[in-house]
Amino acid sequence: MVNVQGPWSPLIGRLSLGAIPDNPIIAGAFLFSAVLGVVILGYLTFGHKWGYLWREWLTTVDHKKIGVMYILIGLVMLFRGFIDAVMMRTQQVLADGPHSPGFLGAAHGYLLPYHFDQIYSAHGTIMILFAATPILVGLMNIIVPLQIGARDMAFPYLNALGLWLTAVGAALIMLSLFLGDFSHAGWVGLTPLTEMAYSPGVGVDYWIWAIQIASVGTTLGAANLIATIIKMRAPGMTWSRLPIFTWTSLSTNIIALTSFPVLGVALGLLGADRYFGTHFFTAGLGGNLMLYADLFWIWGHPEVYFVILPAFGMMSEIIPTFAEKPLFGYATMVAASFAIAGVSWSVWLHHFFTMGAGPSVNTFFSIATMIVGIPTGVKVFNWAFTVYHGRSRFETPMLWAVGALFMLLLGGLTGMMLAMPPINYSVHNSVFVVAHFHTMLMVVIYGIMGAVAYWFPKVFGFKLDEPLGKRFFWFFTAGTIMVFIPMYTSGFMGMTRRLDYIANPALLPFEIAEEIGIGLYVVSVYYFVRQLFVSVRDRASHRVGADAWGSARTLEWLTPSPVPFYNYAVTPRVHARDELVWRREQGLEAATAAHYEDILMPKNTPVPLVIGAFAMTLGFGLVWRIWWLTDASFLGIILTVIARSFVRDTDYVVRAGEVRKIEQGLRGNTPGTGGDGTQGGVGVWRPQESGS
Amino acid sequence: MATPSGGMDVAADGLWEAHYHHDAIATRTLGFWLYMLSDAMIFAGLFAAYGVLSHHYNAAGGPTLHTLVQPLSAYGETLAVFASVLAYGGAMVALKNHSRTGVLFGLGAAFILGAVFLGLELRDFAQLFQAGIYPQDSGYLSAFFALVMTHGLHMVFGLLWMAVLFVQVATQGFTDKTVYRLLNLKLFWHFQAILWVLIFTFVDMRGVL
Amino acid sequence: MQARRYDTIARRVGYLARSLVPLSLLFLSGCSAHGLSRQFLLFRPAGPLSAADLRFTILDVAVMLGIIIPTAVMTTYFLLRYRKTRASAAYDPHWSHSNLIEIVVWTIPVLTVALLGYESYKGTYAVNPYDPRMIKTAAPGRAPLAVDVITTDWQWLFIYPQQHIAIANKLVIPRGTPVVFRMTSATVVNDFFIPNLSGMIDVMPGMRTKQVLVADKTGQYKGYSANFSGSGFSWMGFRTHVVSRSGFTRWAQAMEKSPRHLDYAQFNVFAKPTTNTDGKTYAFSQVHARLFDQVIKGVLAGKVYTTRLPPPGAA
Ligand code: HEA
Ligand code: HEA
Ligand code: CUA
Ligand SMILES: [Cu+2]
Repeated sequence: MVNVQGPWSPLIGRLSLGAIPDNPIIAGAFLFSAVLGVVILGYLTFGHKWGYLWREWLTTVDHKKIGVMYILIGLVMLFRGFIDAVMMRTQQVLADGPHSPGFLGAAHGYLLPYHFDQIYSAHGTIMILFAATPILVGLMNIIVPLQIGARDMAFPYLNALGLWLTAVGAALIMLSLFLGDFSHAGWVGLTPLTEMAYSPGVGVDYWIWAIQIASVGTTLGAANLIATIIKMRAPGMTWSRLPIFTWTSLSTNIIALTSFPVLGVALGLLGADRYFGTHFFTAGLGGNLMLYADLFWIWGHPEVYFVILPAFGMMSEIIPTFAEKPLFGYATMVAASFAIAGVSWSVWLHHFFTMGAGPSVNTFFSIATMIVGIPTGVKVFNWAFTVYHGRSRFETPMLWAVGALFMLLLGGLTGMMLAMPPINYSVHNSVFVVAHFHTMLMVVIYGIMGAVAYWFPKVFGFKLDEPLGKRFFWFFTAGTIMVFIPMYTSGFMGMTRRLDYIANPALLPFEIAEEIGIGLYVVSVYYFVRQLFVSVRDRASHRVGADAWGSARTLEWLTPSPVPFYNYAVTPRVHARDELVWRREQGLEAATAAHYEDILMPKNTPVPLVIGAFAMTLGFGLVWRIWWLTDASFLGIILTVIARSFVRDTDYVVRAGEVRKIEQGLRGNTPGTGGDGTQGGVGVWRPQESGS
Repeated sequence: MATPSGGMDVAADGLWEAHYHHDAIATRTLGFWLYMLSDAMIFAGLFAAYGVLSHHYNAAGGPTLHTLVQPLSAYGETLAVFASVLAYGGAMVALKNHSRTGVLFGLGAAFILGAVFLGLELRDFAQLFQAGIYPQDSGYLSAFFALVMTHGLHMVFGLLWMAVLFVQVATQGFTDKTVYRLLNLKLFWHFQAILWVLIFTFVDMRGVL
Repeated sequence: MQARRYDTIARRVGYLARSLVPLSLLFLSGCSAHGLSRQFLLFRPAGPLSAADLRFTILDVAVMLGIIIPTAVMTTYFLLRYRKTRASAAYDPHWSHSNLIEIVVWTIPVLTVALLGYESYKGTYAVNPYDPRMIKTAAPGRAPLAVDVITTDWQWLFIYPQQHIAIANKLVIPRGTPVVFRMTSATVVNDFFIPNLSGMIDVMPGMRTKQVLVADKTGQYKGYSANFSGSGFSWMGFRTHVVSRSGFTRWAQAMEKSPRHLDYAQFNVFAKPTTNTDGKTYAFSQVHARLFDQVIKGVLAGKVYTTRLPPPGAA
């Protein structure tokens, strides 16, 4: 083991009272979380909700509930990442020019450099790995089995395990706020800055283990989703009928399955350097720090396509629904998704064109990068031709989808600039790059917001409030424009990224504009929260039938909303690519099965949660170097897995009679049948005698 | 495309498929192949790291391949792995014949041979440490030990799995669960053997030649 | 009702926010006479390298806008023309395929990427620091000036091996003369960048990278590290003075009188982690001829300039 600076004891490792930061900002954050925690615990205890929570959520293996929990984690982390963004922007607007004021002990602005560096590192890590990724995984979890007419996923237990490992990663990052510190070396973990010599604290260790544990979860989830799509399709759901979101989920999870292990290697070797004193990425003694850049970006670049492909899939579902027309160019859409996924493997070097590789290498990766623009462009054109001769309605999901499309154009334009080495040499590591990738990641966020609004009624049985949703959209969009357009401009002024202090006072107008954008974002978050609140409060009047939008096209809209735990009472037979449209045109939209069968479902189990708990103590022990804890946790995981493998009856049967009762109950309470009976111009689903 | 397919029987009972079941063992096996794909990527990463870190300057003046490799021992390890895989194959044949004792016998033999492999490998490590050769000495040694030890760790887990499965087959016989586990462990065990061959050719052989 | 009113308000705010952006740009162009336009460092090249970078930027943006703008216009037009509330528009609920469109849709990006790829190839070779054709044609026959660059946490050291002098956090070069840089870092990775003069190149510990540039105009230019390197990173700037050739000779002669000397031992003292908050410069004479190589050798042998707990700048 390498020697660590500061005290270490066998019992508590590097922990000491000094590990608790005495910073007023963190104290405030701690107070906020503590109050929130107390309120939640109090509610659970006095509302007698523990049993419900345990039975219905913590031990569940239902892919929909797991998906919902993924999304909740993602939203909480999105909020945390947003607070980080607010802090960064506020620091930069305050710390511009040598005469800018200083507060809280900082020479300029209110954050010390080391604190600011942790914030952007946490922001990037959180936003990509703990906000975007979980929300997307959650949405895929919920929607893909429904879209292919499956009753469950291929590996429901594995799925729950993936969730809890992701939760552990998120929890470790949150813990780093209050105990110790977080990495200061960016979300990419620049070597050799992350080596012990330059990052002697526990920050980098938090970063390593949070990602490492969560990415095991993501990899497992990817294997599960791929197996589900390949093996669990309903009869008639041929490859040429697979909904496009399922296609993109497949391509994206192939990326995840093959690229996350490489990240695991990169972090594992970095961990070896930090824990055992090996020399993989050190500057001296035969290490090679560029190897880290390669390994990281071999994952890192595919990862950005991992997050954008599902967003493309969401846009490809939303746009046809609200244009009331089939997706243009289905086959090329599929081909384009796989082309993007395939090429994404051969472009990673564009993240370090400036590392001095020869011009032939740079040219190769430059052209490979540009090639990604071809299938992406095809997608854009296909969306445009989907609305051509359509009947577009601009409900919130459509607004987000269209917004995403325009963001993609801007992000693509700037991406194509970065892909050209002579341009890259002058804007690499500048805020121009920051603006590029936020524009692109906004495509993801827009896709997510659209998808949440779009599929929310499917999962919960009622729609989100439209007017508030629109307000959320417009303020969010205004914020995005105000923050990131000026950032492109300051990039041309030579402003580099990751600055806690900006030497050039001429940048102030841009910083101020961006701060106004942050204000608009704050308003948008208010509307988002209010939208959730109002929609839940008024859910009775927002109830919907199976086809919430009246013009939906794919299979998932066939089963009642909210979806019963077994998804489909009887497995549907698929006849067309847009099955619901096919049935609608045949007048069979409302037909239900004549009789029901017994259903075999997996039992709930606490095992994934238990493994998650051990993973948490394992991560904690590793960060603080408490070896007895790590050993015990590791042993605990192995023993749990072995014990679980001896459990034989893991399934239970839902009797046909019970299925019938549930179905009748669900279909009976469908509202919207009163009043005008139409929504979005298309007749809503009406209850009907089964089998008629 | 939303157009109805012509001539389709649209009677309501064509809309649903009762008694629709998925083949659980095939799904499990596919899942395991997918896991192995991701595991292969881990080794791809380690091999790449080894390749990058095996220039002479990565040894930082310390020992290189020639001093590390004990060809005889590596040869013995190779034999042990192959014999273990062969024994496991015997268990698979017994599975086809529904012979529980045959499976147990094959598993036991495979376990022992796998343990022999690990024993030999551990002896190699001990000798290296005794000679004062540690992973901390240079980038090259770090990469060498990381690659070989990761494989060794996989072998340890394979053996653990084999032991558990031995108990399960002995007590539960051939159920859905034990059968697909036997099949998956077969994949895993072969996979480790293939990896060992790769290590043998790209690390040990290169050291000898 | 209420909701609808809010909706309009929200939309108006959205419009306002969007119009603020061009407005702020207008405001900038108004100031350009007073020097703000000079702040767009990337648009004001003072040497052939950065001029080439700018040329390729303009080319790439022009070509890409040639596609992006029509696409945006077309999409907007389709969305508005074929909206639900406009009942008179054509509606074709089954149309989802057209061979002609698909061919066009693939061909346009393929051709564009072919064009841009070719330009990228040309550009990458043109500004390649290891084969500086640009420099050769820009300053033919001039003997180049060698400068060795060493970064520390968090300062720049520029060594002039031919003159045996060195200066920290300030770079002085003669106009019209090719300057050949060799760079290495004593600690972590930095990135050498003078926006008006040259693109970026990483400065890495234990390794040697190169850059070559020619300055066309005398003046002062900002230079800084573009790759995050720790707490002192934001202050890790240096001023580049491009002077006349005779001015450079005079400066070098003055430097030789500087009382501070620099060998490897003294370098190790200089390289202790320091945040250069006030932009101090230090002049050295009698610089050890092989200092640059010694630093690389030291790093390769495992020398680190360790950060202490708590890290600098922490509370
Ligand atoms: C998906 C990824 C993602 C997303 C969405 C964002 C979103 C934002 N980012 Fe982020 N950012 C990164 C990924 C992301 N970022 C990465 C990878 C880096 C690089 C880090 C590094 O350098 O290493 C970075 C760096 C980065 C910087 C550092 C720049 C620098 O280096 O100098 C800045 C500074 O302004 C910034 C700003 C913002 C802003 C203003 C937003 C806004 O768009 C935020 C908008 C979000 C909201 C408005 C939140 C809405 C919230 C809800 C709807 C949830 C509400 C829920 C509950 C209440 C439960 N980002
Ligand atoms: C979702 C995320 C996402 C997506 C989709 C993309 C997409 C692309 N990115 Fe981006 N990128 C990031 C996220 C993303 N990126 C992040 C996070 C970073 C920095 C990380 C860090 O350093 O912290 C980054 C950094 C980054 C760099 C390195 C910058 C640097 O550090 O120096 C480069 C360079 O080539 C690049 C290029 C591209 C290109 C060419 C695309 C292409 O895929 C874009 C393709 C799209 C189009 C081109 C538009 C639509 C097409 C048409 C309308 C047809 C016409 C087009 C043509 C003819 C080409 N990106
Ligand atoms: Cu050193 Cu690239
Ligand atoms: Cu990339």
